[in-house]
Amino acid sequence: MIRVSVNKMLKAQDSEFNLQIDCTIQSGEIIGLYGDSGAGKTSFLRIMAGLMTPDSGKVLVGGNRWFDRKGRVNLKTSKRSIGYVFQENALFPNMSVRRNLLFAVDETHQMESLDRIVELTQLERLLERMPNSLSGGQQQRVALARAMVREPQVLLLDEPLSALDHNMRSSMQDIILKSQRELGFTCILVTHDMSEIFKMCHRVFSLREGNIVKRGTPYEVFSENRSGGKFSFTGEVIDIVKEDVIYIVTVLIGSQITKVVADESEASNFAKGDRVLVSSKAFNPIIQKIPGT
Amino acid sequence: MNILTGKISKVSVNGNLTLLDIDVAGENFKAILIENPDKVEFLREGKEVSVMFKETEVVIGKKVEHAISLRNRLLCTIKSITKGPLLSKLRLEHMAGEIGSIITSNAVESLQLVEGEEIWAMIKTNEVTISE
Amino acid sequence: MEWGPIILTFQLAGITTLILVFLGIPIAHWLAYTKSKGKPVIETLVSMPLVLPPTVLGFYLLVAFSPANGFGEWLKSVFGLQLVFSFEGLVVASVIYSLPFMVQPIQSGLSNLSITLKEASYSLGKGKTSTLLRVLLPNIKASVLTGIVLSFAHTIGEFGVVLMIGGNIPDKTRVASIAIYDEVEALNYDSANRYSVFLLVVTFLILLTVYIINGRSVRSKSHD
Repeated sequence: MIRVSVNKMLKAQDSEFNLQIDCTIQSGEIIGLYGDSGAGKTSFLRIMAGLMTPDSGKVLVGGNRWFDRKGRVNLKTSKRSIGYVFQENALFPNMSVRRNLLFAVDETHQMESLDRIVELTQLERLLERMPNSLSGGQQQRVALARAMVREPQVLLLDEPLSALDHNMRSSMQDIILKSQRELGFTCILVTHDMSEIFKMCHRVFSLREGNIVKRGTPYEVFSENRSGGKFSFTGEVIDIVKEDVIYIVTVLIGSQITKVVADESEASNFAKGDRVLVSSKAFNPIIQKIPGT
Repeated sequence: MNILTGKISKVSVNGNLTLLDIDVAGENFKAILIENPDKVEFLREGKEVSVMFKETEVVIGKKVEHAISLRNRLLCTIKSITKGPLLSKLRLEHMAGEIGSIITSNAVESLQLVEGEEIWAMIKTNEVTISE
Repeated sequence: MEWGPIILTFQLAGITTLILVFLGIPIAHWLAYTKSKGKPVIETLVSMPLVLPPTVLGFYLLVAFSPANGFGEWLKSVFGLQLVFSFEGLVVASVIYSLPFMVQPIQSGLSNLSITLKEASYSLGKGKTSTLLRVLLPNIKASVLTGIVLSFAHTIGEFGVVLMIGGNIPDKTRVASIAIYDEVEALNYDSANRYSVFLLVVTFLILLTVYIINGRSVRSKSHD
């Protein structure tokens, strides 16, 4: 279990606000950090990693004190059991993929799990390549693998997927989920993408100006107390067409194109590119086995 | 989306299913949810809630004589009919507020619906969504 | 032309550069990442030899190292070191004199490197030294090479400091630049010319090598 209760005055170019994080995270949970840029999401990760020192408070992970202002404890980044995947490419350009991964190994038993991590992240064929010769998606896969080599208690992911295209992102999400199930780490994921949160996260912390303003399951945080819509997805409006007396709104959910009928009063509220929540009562959808599976 | 407001008058629970009775301007409305009141704070007797259902889920009945399974029945007056080639949109007036219904133009013709006429608007219990 | 001064020159430059590698890299590392308020002061001190007349530096070192003075006396009684008019003295003076040539390229190399590399290495359980040696320095090879070569070449070329503190003792402090001055004083233009041509060619070749190597590494980077 992770207990965080910290304060930190953050100074941006033209604003100043107090980052005030107070939360408990169960081990094995995947937490999404959601909020506008500058809300303090990355700062939260950096405090967890020991790359930023809070003004006051405590960070407790498992039974260990990582930070305790009063107890004068501030564990160095290198002493914390973390994996960090940065927003930008942070692979060491002077090392091959294999050497990047080996760099993280500091105990012999990690060598054994290394093969499994390489397999999970599908890097078998890329081991001898240099980072600069890889695509963005491949680089982030290496970064993820490298962050997992030490079998950290906490994996910190700072929008690792934001630069990837849709398919790549989706497969990375699957890799992270699968790795989490197998390795059991606790994960804090910064993301702007609501569908990513619904897919990946057990709980979401919504940050505004340094405070957690909402917390709960993605459903609780984003569906605004609506009940009964057990069948719900977030997506993006890509088209709105009037047919007869109704409107057909085309919504991209994940990589699937769906169509939803809307009344004029609703359709007039939407524009192409809007993020929308599509929900239905669980009674309505028809479920069928796909032949041949 | 049709949105009416009402007050929960009864909560019946069976496992993860909850049946709500809601008083909407004197009419008894029913809604069934896959939800447990223990987890959802606003599913309480006496709570004000929004009752929501899509226009396409509103069934129109005229001179209903036989017994029918639809629990939610509102006696309305047709305010306007907008006819399209295949579908038509009805605007209905009820004490609880205005209700929209989208049915086939064919149905409008065979029922011989006209503006000003009194009809029953009916919604299946499982089509009703509740929001705080 | 005698080989003595030439050999002495390269010995001095070699030893000085070696010491500067171990001294300059930590200083550059500290300067590149410190948030200390003392940074500008240290930066200024390191850079002073760039603008100060070498004779000023030489003069004060001469005074400081003189056994007639407290510091010089202490050095002599504790370490048995006499730094005035000795090869050791030349080394110390050259290290100070060439320090900015080692520190500045490496400091700017480190500053230009993405800070994420350093943080990533920390997050992978590595400390400062290991990060510096395995991640940071290998990624600023060109800067390190520039620092080494400039320090070496600059030490070959120094004159004022050496003259002030080392004097002109054959095989001890008589380096090539002093020998040239000496020969000119004695109107041995031929001999002076030979020393000069030698230094000219050697420094040209050293610098040329650096620019070719750096140019190559820049080009290979832009191909990626």
